Amino acid sequence: MDAATASAFLEASVRLGVPLALAALGEVVTERSGVINIGLEGSIIAGALGGALGALAWSSPLGGVGAGAMAGAAVAAVFALFAVVLNADQIIAGTAVTLGGLGATGAVYQGVFGATGTALTIPTLGSVPIPVLSSVPVVGPALFDQAVTAYLAYGLALVLWIFLFRTELGLELRAVGESPAAAEASSIRVRWTRFWATLFGGALGGVAGAHLALAYAGTFAQGMSAGRGFIAIAVVVLARWNPGGVLLAALFFGVASALQFFLQALGLDLPYQLFLALPYVLTLAALAGWLGRSRAPSALALPWPPH
Amino acid sequence: MIGRTAGRLGPVAAAVVALAVTLAASAVALVLGGYDPAAAYGALLRGAVGSPSQFLSISLVRATPLILTGLAVALAFRSGIWNIGAEGQLYAGAIAGAWVGIHGSGLPPAVVLPAVALAAGVAGCLWALIPTLLKVRMGVGEVITTLLMNFVGIHLAAYTVHGPMQEARGVFPQTDLIAEAARLPRLIPGTRLHAGFILALGLALLIWLVMRFSVYGFQVRAVGASPAAAAVAGRIRTRRVVVVTFLLSGALAGIGGGVEVSGVTYALYENFSPGYGYTAIAVALLAGLHPLGVVATGIFFGALEGGAGAMQREAGIPAVWVNVIEALVILAVLAVDRAVRRLQVGRKPDGDADSPEPARARGARTLSLEGT
Amino acid sequence: MCLRFRPIPRVQDDLPVKAEGSGSHRGRSSVQLVDIAKRFGPLVALDGVHLTAVEGEVHAVLGENGAGKTTLMNVLAGMLRPERGRIVIEGSEAHFHTPREAGAAGVGMVHQHFTLVPDMTVLENVALGVRSAGRGFRFPRDRIRRRITDLIHRTGLAADPEAFVRDLTVGGRQRVEILKLLFRDPRILVMDEPTAVLAPQEVSQLFEILRSLAAEGRTVLLIAHKLDEVLAVADRVTVLRDGATVLTAPRQEVDPGVLARAMVGRPLATVERSEEEVEGDSVAQLSGVWVAGARGEASLRGVDLVVRRGGIVGVGGVEGNGQRELALVLSGRLSPDRGTASLPDDSGLIPQDRCHEGVIPEFSLTENMALALHRRPRFRIGPLLRWALIRDETRVAMLRFGVRARGASTLAGTLSGGNQQKLIVSRELSRRPDLLVAENPTRGLDIAATEFVHREIFELRAGPIPNAGRGRAGLLESTRVSGHRPGVVLISTDLDDVLALSDRIFVMVRGKLVEVPPEMRNREGMGSLMLAGGASEGRRGESAP
Repeated sequence: MDAATASAFLEASVRLGVPLALAALGEVVTERSGVINIGLEGSIIAGALGGALGALAWSSPLGGVGAGAMAGAAVAAVFALFAVVLNADQIIAGTAVTLGGLGATGAVYQGVFGATGTALTIPTLGSVPIPVLSSVPVVGPALFDQAVTAYLAYGLALVLWIFLFRTELGLELRAVGESPAAAEASSIRVRWTRFWATLFGGALGGVAGAHLALAYAGTFAQGMSAGRGFIAIAVVVLARWNPGGVLLAALFFGVASALQFFLQALGLDLPYQLFLALPYVLTLAALAGWLGRSRAPSALALPWPPH
Repeated sequence: MIGRTAGRLGPVAAAVVALAVTLAASAVALVLGGYDPAAAYGALLRGAVGSPSQFLSISLVRATPLILTGLAVALAFRSGIWNIGAEGQLYAGAIAGAWVGIHGSGLPPAVVLPAVALAAGVAGCLWALIPTLLKVRMGVGEVITTLLMNFVGIHLAAYTVHGPMQEARGVFPQTDLIAEAARLPRLIPGTRLHAGFILALGLALLIWLVMRFSVYGFQVRAVGASPAAAAVAGRIRTRRVVVVTFLLSGALAGIGGGVEVSGVTYALYENFSPGYGYTAIAVALLAGLHPLGVVATGIFFGALEGGAGAMQREAGIPAVWVNVIEALVILAVLAVDRAVRRLQVGRKPDGDADSPEPARARGARTLSLEGT
Repeated sequence: MCLRFRPIPRVQDDLPVKAEGSGSHRGRSSVQLVDIAKRFGPLVALDGVHLTAVEGEVHAVLGENGAGKTTLMNVLAGMLRPERGRIVIEGSEAHFHTPREAGAAGVGMVHQHFTLVPDMTVLENVALGVRSAGRGFRFPRDRIRRRITDLIHRTGLAADPEAFVRDLTVGGRQRVEILKLLFRDPRILVMDEPTAVLAPQEVSQLFEILRSLAAEGRTVLLIAHKLDEVLAVADRVTVLRDGATVLTAPRQEVDPGVLARAMVGRPLATVERSEEEVEGDSVAQLSGVWVAGARGEASLRGVDLVVRRGGIVGVGGVEGNGQRELALVLSGRLSPDRGTASLPDDSGLIPQDRCHEGVIPEFSLTENMALALHRRPRFRIGPLLRWALIRDETRVAMLRFGVRARGASTLAGTLSGGNQQKLIVSRELSRRPDLLVAENPTRGLDIAATEFVHREIFELRAGPIPNAGRGRAGLLESTRVSGHRPGVVLISTDLDDVLALSDRIFVMVRGKLVEVPPEMRNREGMGSLMLAGGASEGRRGESAP
């Protein structure tokens, strides 16, 4: 593999890893508060549609990112209404929100663009090379010649790490996820914390979706989230609920996804459907390994107050 | 859990309330989208039950895989297993069923048909085996693993119809038609209703009997209601119950896939399932996880999905809107369940409400996995 | 309702050290509860409670389980809202909606069930929820550490700020709870049954601390149900019965008899213990049993024990020393990692966590009975259950043990704790076990239910059947009538239970079983064994890292 191929491969890996990283960073915050949001997939697809429509409406890809964040947060708000406010089962509520998100985006898309869905041309997020850094051989273009959403992911990993482990609010959020009873006895508003943590996670899921539409595909397609919400939740497990680990784990899946293009480019006569399955299989394999056994926040997926 | 509370309100009443809430919420959304809900529901109704033959050929045919996967989900949920993977298990069953059906030419139906069902069941079982092992051996939650297995199953089916099992002509991404002997007989001439529907009804009845009268069914309910009490007070080998139930659940969903091939499509092709395995969750929950209830809700959702085409043609509402209705049903069931519980809290004479101990629930889960 | 935005009251950054000696504050009323009423559905928890505590006193709130003590204190601490009555704190009327509001008014509570985050450090737990640095941004670790160190010096509450709470002993956790409370500088401290988890010597240490806190001018409200403890530490006593105040008096004016009658409404009955040793055949035997705990360290460390038919083995000790694992191993629910256990096929277990391990609340009484009966061939035909027989057996058991419920199809979750325990006892005996293990079987029960459990356990002993004509005959499968007797292991943190009922007595310390010699069979003797075993190992997590 020469340097150019390696760089292109790495660049594709990062590009594919960024939406996973963004969604997983949000989910880390959500899960650290004791909520597992299976509806993240719904936030991502809503963010993709919201991003596409927002970018069209304002003729601005950044406006699209904002609209995607809002759409993702809105879907998460539905989830939080059931899973946190009504204190219903998180898994079932999340599954419903994912189903509803996929259905509703499809219906809206068909309603706006017709039943067949005419190919959508939207303003896209171009890559913004960072001076100096992007000219480092091989890794430079891969890491530092990306869309702004990629830089957002890098920055958020650091910011969220500081938030979770170095601030009072972060301590309170982790206490809510570890022991809601202890948090409540310490005058922390458990459901209030969980609600906002869930909305934040949904907003980042929306940004991830917007990135898919605006920086990756350049269009919206029904079901384009393609299970990334579920992989993002697996990324959180592999990252051991640590924002720093999320970048590494997401890159791992980016590599797994990029592999299909790379091997096809090499002219290997392997069926591409199997490569499409590769990220899911690798996720399962990683969960089956020692990484799957890391300790989740103690109160994850448990209702509060207990039933 | 959910079924139990519904049981106190009356499962039918709970389901009806949830449905009314759903249809109202969906109507509001349709109005906001600029549609006429009355026209939409009218078209839906006509498409689903407009004529007896439509009901039999469209709604009941569509209901068959929903009942089978709904039973799979209800059984798993009843024992506290979050099997969200009925879709993948259905695909596995369809692949195996199609393979047996294609290679079963020359054999009598009495041999081939059971072989198709058996192969489909075993394949669904195997598809559930991976999440089962990850759950009981590695402690990896089944929610994510079953979801991921769904995607693997869908891509595997796509691969088989492009590759090893592609039709002899090699034109379309689909398999050859299965042998005549492997096709389920039609129940009523002139309709597409096939014997798979009877199989679904029979399995529902069987599961109901097992849950109600057998030791195993009691163990499933005990493990689902309280793994810790099942292990400590019941001395039930919870891990074994979980393994057996998870695999049975996978087998039921797999049979759903096999029956669909053998009764309806006669071949496997890409995106063969319109999401039966996900709709199954709504089917099971609306039924309060009751096996006989699953028959009713399966038919309801079959009619809903069967009428979606007419709704799109006549009222211009995208057929995918049915998925939104399904999601709303699940949420409505949750909301009704929570409302009933809230009403019941006042009736509970125990004063425990003021001393919550969340750590216990967690401990209970751990014990259930590590118990004998 | 949980999504309101409200400004968060800040706590003063530095603890003002109260230099005044005791007495200077005495006499000023600090807490007045007037005619408080609270109900949960049909259950009346409080109905007309009056209580007045003055500054600088330790005020005991006494009552048996279910009398409403904890409910009352939860009302005072803002966790529950009363339906009637007034709360007056230092002269001004208070209406608390949340614990935070109560905290801002100077009321703090240490709960019966600890509310610490195990996977956080002592420092993080103590400071949790106190926004000392402004809007919740930077966590001022160094400043907090200095304040905690000061507190430790001032109060003598030993703790290492950097230790993880999960590594602390129960006593250590309680010290952290008190530190956490004092960190918020409350003027009124509520302690909910703080002695339940402590060895007797630790109790006196705690009482010294409570006295010194009162001497600083704080008010200490101590919830208790043990007379001797109240008499040892309190300045004043208020007794609750059935949700109402029945007595309030200074310490000097009461004696144990007066308090007991006020609590129960009648003199206490005691079960007489026989001194004879039991010589039945062995029903269970453990030798050299080791079990690894959840975090890898051993929770049973070489346990040897022989249980004989008709004998009651009592095991006392501070919670968390391996009793849980001992109960599970003895009853066959857990296999030892090392050593041998020869056990009967099926044994009864009365687990301490009634609601999660004892019964399935969403199941009917019949289904709960089936948890035991489904294992017995008589109640099945092949793979099927004989529900009609199980239902009959349940009805008989309900009659025999006086389970009060509308019928066998009632859901177990709707029963009171005492009735649930009767159901469990009847079910575990319906196994006709050779061995019955009871884990804190009287915890949380009122006096009548406690007496019931004591009697049932005691009557399983060898010897002539006592009180055979008590009017509960007519049983199909009564243990007593058939003469079938198990060996009993009673595991309890309540030393009085153990002392009252057992033939042989052990103390469980750090995973080891220490037999109590006859001359040490009293609270003090057992207490010193409990502490001696711990001292030799050093206190985990509390020494410097």
